[in-house]
Amino acid sequence: MQKPSKFAAWLSTFLFCLLFWLLLTLSLAPREIFWGVVISAIVAALASRFLIHHKAFYLYNPVRLVLLVVYCCTVFLWEVIKANVNMAKIVLSPSLRNYQAGIIRVPGSPEVKSEYGLAMVSNCITLTPGTITMDVAEDEQGNNYYYVHWIDVAETDRDKAGEAIKGRMERWIGRIWK
Amino acid sequence: MVRIVIDILLAVGVFFTFIGVLGVHRMPDVFGRLQASTCIATMGTLSVVLAGVIYGVSSGSEPMTYIKLAIILLLVMGTNPVSNHALCKAAYKMGVKPAKDLVIDDYKEDDPE
Repeated sequence: MQKPSKFAAWLSTFLFCLLFWLLLTLSLAPREIFWGVVISAIVAALASRFLIHHKAFYLYNPVRLVLLVVYCCTVFLWEVIKANVNMAKIVLSPSLRNYQAGIIRVPGSPEVKSEYGLAMVSNCITLTPGTITMDVAEDEQGNNYYYVHWIDVAETDRDKAGEAIKGRMERWIGRIWK
Repeated sequence: MVRIVIDILLAVGVFFTFIGVLGVHRMPDVFGRLQASTCIATMGTLSVVLAGVIYGVSSGSEPMTYIKLAIILLLVMGTNPVSNHALCKAAYKMGVKPAKDLVIDDYKEDDPE
C-alpha cells in the first residue's frame, strides 16, 4: 500500500470540501467562491492526513459514485427497512421474548480489504437496527473479522450468520471500495 | 396526491421514532437500548426528511431548502454509527453485565488487543 504524496491528499480533500461548500451556498458569486477556496484550503491542510491514506483520487470516479448512490438507494434502504420492521416486532412484543442477544464473530469477505471498505461495512451493519459492530480485528493470515452484537441471534454458525447480517451489503461495498 | 404521500411518510417516521423511544424504555440493558435507538436515526430521520424534500419540491420552494434537508440526513446517518459503536464497545469493556446471558460471546473468548 503506497502512501499518496502530501499534495495529492491535500488536493483531494480540498476538492471534496469545495464541492460541499458550493452545495451549501448554492451560488457562484465571486465572494462566496473566494471564501470557499480559502476555508477549504485551511480545512484540507488540517484534515487530509486523517482522510486520505492511500490512492487519493479513488472515489472521484463516475462509475464508483453511481454505484455508491445505487447501493444507498436500493440494497441498503431495503436492509434498513427490513431490520426496522423486525425491531418494531421485538419492541412491541409483550414479553420481549425474542430478545436473545449475543456477540458473534463474523468473517469478513476477502474482497473488502481497504480501511474505507471495512469502515463502510461496519457502519452499514451498525446502521441496521438489531446489529452493532463492536470491533474489527485482523488475524495473522490477513483475514478480517467483525465482532457484531446481534439482538436476536437466529444462527450461531458464523458463516451463515455473516451471510444473514451483511451478505448483500458486503458484496456491493466490495464493488465500490475493494 | 402528493399530500397523501407526504402524510404517509411523516406517519411512518413518527411511528419508528416512537418504536425507538419505546425500545429505549423497554429494553433490559445498555446494548438493547443502543440497538433500539438506531431506529430513530434510520427510519425516523429518513422518512421525515424524505417527506420534507417532497414537500419542498412540490411546493416550489428554493432548492436550498431541500438540499439542506438532504445534508441533515447525510450527517445523521454518518455520525450515528460511530457513536453507537463507541458506546457499545465502551460499555462492554467497562464490564456492564447483559440482562440475560449472551447466547454466544466470541468477543470474550478471543479478546482482540
